[in-house]
Amino acid sequence: MHRRRSFGVRVRDRRVAGWLFMLPLIAVNVVVVLVPAASSVYYSFTDWSGIGGANFIGLQNYAQLLKDGEFLNGLWHNILWTIFFLIVPMAMGLFGAYALTRIRRFQLLFRVLYFIPYIVASVVNASIWRSILDPQSGIGALLHINPLGNPSLALWSVEFVNNWAWWGFLVVVFLAAMSGISPSLYEAAEMDGAGPVRQFFSITLPGIRPTFAFLGLMTIIWSFLAFDYVYVLTQGGPAGSTDLLSTVLYRDAFSNLQGGYASAIGVVMALISAIVVVGYLVLRRVRKWEI
Amino acid sequence: MSATLTRRTLLAGSGAAGLTALLSACSGGSGGEAGQIQFWNNFSDATQVKYFTDHIAQAYPGPGTVTVSNKSSNTIDRLIQTALAAGSGPDVIVTPGPSTGVTEYTKAGYLLDLEPYAKKYGWDTVFAKWALDASRIGGKLMTLPTSYESMVYYVNPATLSKLGLTAPTTLEEFEAFNAEAKAKGVIPIAAGNADWKGANEWHLVIALNHAAGPEAVYSALKGETKWTDPVFVDAISKLAGWFKKGWYGGGVQNYFTNNFPTVYKQLASGQAASMISGTWEFSNLGPYFGKAAGNSADWDWTTIPSLGSTTKNDVFDLAIGQSAGVNAHSKSVKDAASFLNFMTTDKKVLVDAVVEKDFQLPPIQVSAADFGSKADPRTVRLYTQLSAAKSIGYTTWTFFPQQTETYMINYFENVITDKLSVQDYLAGIQQKFDPELKAGKVPTAPAPTGVASS
Repeated sequence: MHRRRSFGVRVRDRRVAGWLFMLPLIAVNVVVVLVPAASSVYYSFTDWSGIGGANFIGLQNYAQLLKDGEFLNGLWHNILWTIFFLIVPMAMGLFGAYALTRIRRFQLLFRVLYFIPYIVASVVNASIWRSILDPQSGIGALLHINPLGNPSLALWSVEFVNNWAWWGFLVVVFLAAMSGISPSLYEAAEMDGAGPVRQFFSITLPGIRPTFAFLGLMTIIWSFLAFDYVYVLTQGGPAGSTDLLSTVLYRDAFSNLQGGYASAIGVVMALISAIVVVGYLVLRRVRKWEI
Repeated sequence: MSATLTRRTLLAGSGAAGLTALLSACSGGSGGEAGQIQFWNNFSDATQVKYFTDHIAQAYPGPGTVTVSNKSSNTIDRLIQTALAAGSGPDVIVTPGPSTGVTEYTKAGYLLDLEPYAKKYGWDTVFAKWALDASRIGGKLMTLPTSYESMVYYVNPATLSKLGLTAPTTLEEFEAFNAEAKAKGVIPIAAGNADWKGANEWHLVIALNHAAGPEAVYSALKGETKWTDPVFVDAISKLAGWFKKGWYGGGVQNYFTNNFPTVYKQLASGQAASMISGTWEFSNLGPYFGKAAGNSADWDWTTIPSLGSTTKNDVFDLAIGQSAGVNAHSKSVKDAASFLNFMTTDKKVLVDAVVEKDFQLPPIQVSAADFGSKADPRTVRLYTQLSAAKSIGYTTWTFFPQQTETYMINYFENVITDKLSVQDYLAGIQQKFDPELKAGKVPTAPAPTGVASS
């Protein structure tokens, strides 16, 4: 006799099936994310060299961080980096996207052109820009400056190069968000005599607020993970002027063979990101901000 | 009997299989199969890989057969560390000299004690004593030096002739040479660290051994003299002053952005009057000089000038460019040790590799007669002079412990950009050095008047 299964049982089966489909992915994540992350936390409390065994030393690594000039220097540069990327590329991305919404012809072409640097490997981008900025044969020779060799300019120069590859991505994302805003709002505003600037601040920006907030959040997180452009262009130099937490971590882990200490830096970096994410969630869920 | 496979079983099975496959891929085995000798190295180019594979790996008579895998110079140490931590890795393990990673590998039990093989193969009579001593940890031989090198002073004879200059041999001549070259619009010393921050330590080695002198460095390495001693303050102050005068790379800022091809081109084109670097450059300069570069430029080398009041100009800074040991977890320990012996002691194979593809010799006894008529006379002169050297200096990458070395490289940039005083820089070196000396991480150094080949 064929027995019809109840609705509840079918729903439960679907849920189980869903989890089973997720199982391989969860397994991969446990192996490549959870276990290394837990290992990092564990090793941050040890004197591990990165090779062989480790001895538990409590909070010594974290106490050392507070006195470590290289760590504090890297942290300060990360803060500067974050501020730059929260302002310059976000503004360029917003402006670029808003400008593109105003044109019909060649819009696709511009979107592609803006996006291309983002899909080129960072090592390639950085190597090309190293040649372009060369003080003897590139822009540096024309302007009589050495953007990557001058400690006062180096961090801004690396940020400029990274931004060159980054802002086009923001244009495309903001443009997609702006396309979701009803054209009737702009038509009504125009009839009321609002100009493009007023329309941007009164319609566009509120209309893309969730996207804007999300990209701001991700910018902060990604800024604390920045590594590749600095490593290729300056290796943290000259004289530590472009050192970020990631380059300090890399040096401590692989040049100084202080794996435990480098793990502590990694944990601090993760904590900074976690604080940002928690802040975002609090604003969304507790304060009910529409972001 | 028929078996039905439900969707649930299929999903669970596939998940378990995926996880098993992933974990299997992660774990691997230690080394290769028995009789298979895995060798990873960072060769300078594809022609060296082919030469090594054809003329050394395949020429190895056994026991065991060798598989060569080339890795990038930037990643080989990380790859080996990771593989060893996973209980795997090559059977013959290379490191960038005896002071880099070898102590940690030894502590972790990754390296085989080579003393029994030293007796078996008679390595004490083949290798220079200083090189084997530097390769011992706690009295046990953990690695063998596979290449050795020194710092030298490179010139382009045509440029010197054009400028009416000769290679300097004393401090006064060195300063006059650089001042005159600069006055004539030529960069006195081609230099740059854009490709490798470690280039900083090459110049530090010159200041320490040729301005302060090898005796002072030897004493400091033994912990008898502080790095803050006035003799080092004077030496590093001189070096920093020369940098700030724009003698290196055309200025401090340009030094930070000059890459190696730029440096070589400056020497070849006459834009620079000299270059101070290691003997590993013999294999790098070829493409920029003569037929290969489509020009008539030539290069030559001489010893580093004396840069102190009491130092000599015949000091050769000794360096082990690469060390190699045997993976303690290898399934082919004896075969790997046998291959290690072959690739570091077979004089004909080694000299041929130097002559044909500019490989570097390990610190073994060689004479001019060992090189055939095809050999570059500059190379023959190098190895015969190195073998006969009576006065030696100490390179940071061979005789200094790792954290001290890293500090010296990174913070020297702060000194030449006026962010750190020489005194504070040297105090920082002392701060790094003390615990490493106490922990036994300073490799054994030979006395400065020792003979390089003994």
